[in-house]
Amino acid sequence: MLFFVLIGVVPFCAAFIYALLYSFGMVGVLNTGFTLAFWKSVFASGEVLGSFGYSAVVAAISVLLSVSIAMWVALKFTRELNKRFLSFIIYLPLAIPGIVAAFFTFQLFSKAGFFSRIAYSFGWITKVRFFPDLVNDQLSIGIMLTFITVVMPFFVLLFLNVYKNERVEELSKLAFSLGANSSQVTWKVTIPIILRKTWTLIALYFIFLLGAYEVPLILGQESPQMLSVLIIRELNQYDLSKISEGYVVAVIYTIVVSLAAIALFSRKKMTLNEI
Amino acid sequence: MKFSWKPFILTLLVVLIVFPFAYMVLLSMASEWRFPDVLPNYFGLRNWTQIFSSETGLISSFVLSIVISLSVAFTSTLSGFLISRSVSYHPRKRLFTLLTYFPYILAPVVFAACLSYFFLMTGLFGSATGVIVAQFMIAFPYALIFFSSFWNERIRQYEELTATLGGNRRQTFLKVLLPLAKGMLLICFFQTFLISWFEYGLTSIIGVGKVQTLTIKVFLFIKEANFYYGALSCCLLIFPPVLLLYINKRYVFNKLI
Repeated sequence: MLFFVLIGVVPFCAAFIYALLYSFGMVGVLNTGFTLAFWKSVFASGEVLGSFGYSAVVAAISVLLSVSIAMWVALKFTRELNKRFLSFIIYLPLAIPGIVAAFFTFQLFSKAGFFSRIAYSFGWITKVRFFPDLVNDQLSIGIMLTFITVVMPFFVLLFLNVYKNERVEELSKLAFSLGANSSQVTWKVTIPIILRKTWTLIALYFIFLLGAYEVPLILGQESPQMLSVLIIRELNQYDLSKISEGYVVAVIYTIVVSLAAIALFSRKKMTLNEI
Repeated sequence: MKFSWKPFILTLLVVLIVFPFAYMVLLSMASEWRFPDVLPNYFGLRNWTQIFSSETGLISSFVLSIVISLSVAFTSTLSGFLISRSVSYHPRKRLFTLLTYFPYILAPVVFAACLSYFFLMTGLFGSATGVIVAQFMIAFPYALIFFSSFWNERIRQYEELTATLGGNRRQTFLKVLLPLAKGMLLICFFQTFLISWFEYGLTSIIGVGKVQTLTIKVFLFIKEANFYYGALSCCLLIFPPVLLLYINKRYVFNKLI
């Protein structure tokens, strides 16, 4: 148990306490003692709340679309995806990390990217600047597209697994034999069973995307920035007096995520399948 | 005969999955590919041969990434397996499991930024050892959570049975627990290897640019707008996991079921 505390608990506590002390001006370069100035400054600027809201919206849309598409694919192609060739192919996207996915999106959707060249060759655009902004854009289309391509394949595999383990096919047949139509079986049997088994993991993925770093770093815009990008930008500033404000954001983010962890895992036991 | 659109959708799905891999290989073998050309002016192995001769440092980054990922995977899998036993059999198991989730759920880059002071104090900042230690801190909670389902009542009964039959703790571990957990150990090793292999944010903070793993290289090439070498680094980054996935799927998952 000593090892568990040393490896599993102490680093997190040390990191949090250090960030907390720094945010109150009690440690760190140029700090002289306890002050609430950095917290006031962060809340007065409104950038943190904006970043939180922006990150939450991007993460929520990405998770919602990923889950919806994955559910459709998993339910429509259950038998086909369990066949030998496809059952390996659907695992391939798991080998693509976020940084590669972001690079790939950039290569395809940037102004001089692959699709822009195709559009030019078909005569749909006459100049580079006429191609729509799909990366580093205001609507964060590039970020969400990348999140979906990274997360969606995982959900397809998860839903297929739950479909098999929870014997959804047998339950669907039972519902049919009791007089339910196809739509009722899908919406009142299949989808509720799968979502009930996987909602913890869906929420967990929302939290992961909330704190994503590489993808918004490559495909994001200057303002607003996603949380992790904002925190690292604040902490790496040349203006040393601003570092404390970066730690304020880090503390707020850590508290929010920790509360989410408590809400998700304090009552329910995660199963191996969900991990 | 009824028309079925399923084969078309499935073909599209396979194309969408394979396309990123094909495009990365194409880009890594391309040169002088400027707008508005749809295909590159040069296509060959020039970039690939240059990684062995030039000073891109890709080979050393590849070796470094493998060493770091293997170290993280080995230490976190082994310690996760051993320590999860104590946690799972502890009366306050739920509290300890909850505590494990905190570092697991936090963005690694933020965790690293808050921990960087301690790495600086211990002289681990900017070193491969520091990166291994930092990555271990996020891979270990995963391993711990992963193995928590292994230690159930059935395993406990096996341990008690071995003790009743005269086996000591070492024999129980080597001849009963390890064989029972072999499949899970392999999957956990594979997953923690990937956690380390794919890690960028935490490595960039703790490694401060001195520890140039493949993910760091990809980002450096993107910043330099050297997309051909960027794609080459991406190929080196994604093909080992593909191989591991194949091995895992072929020899581990199938045998577990």
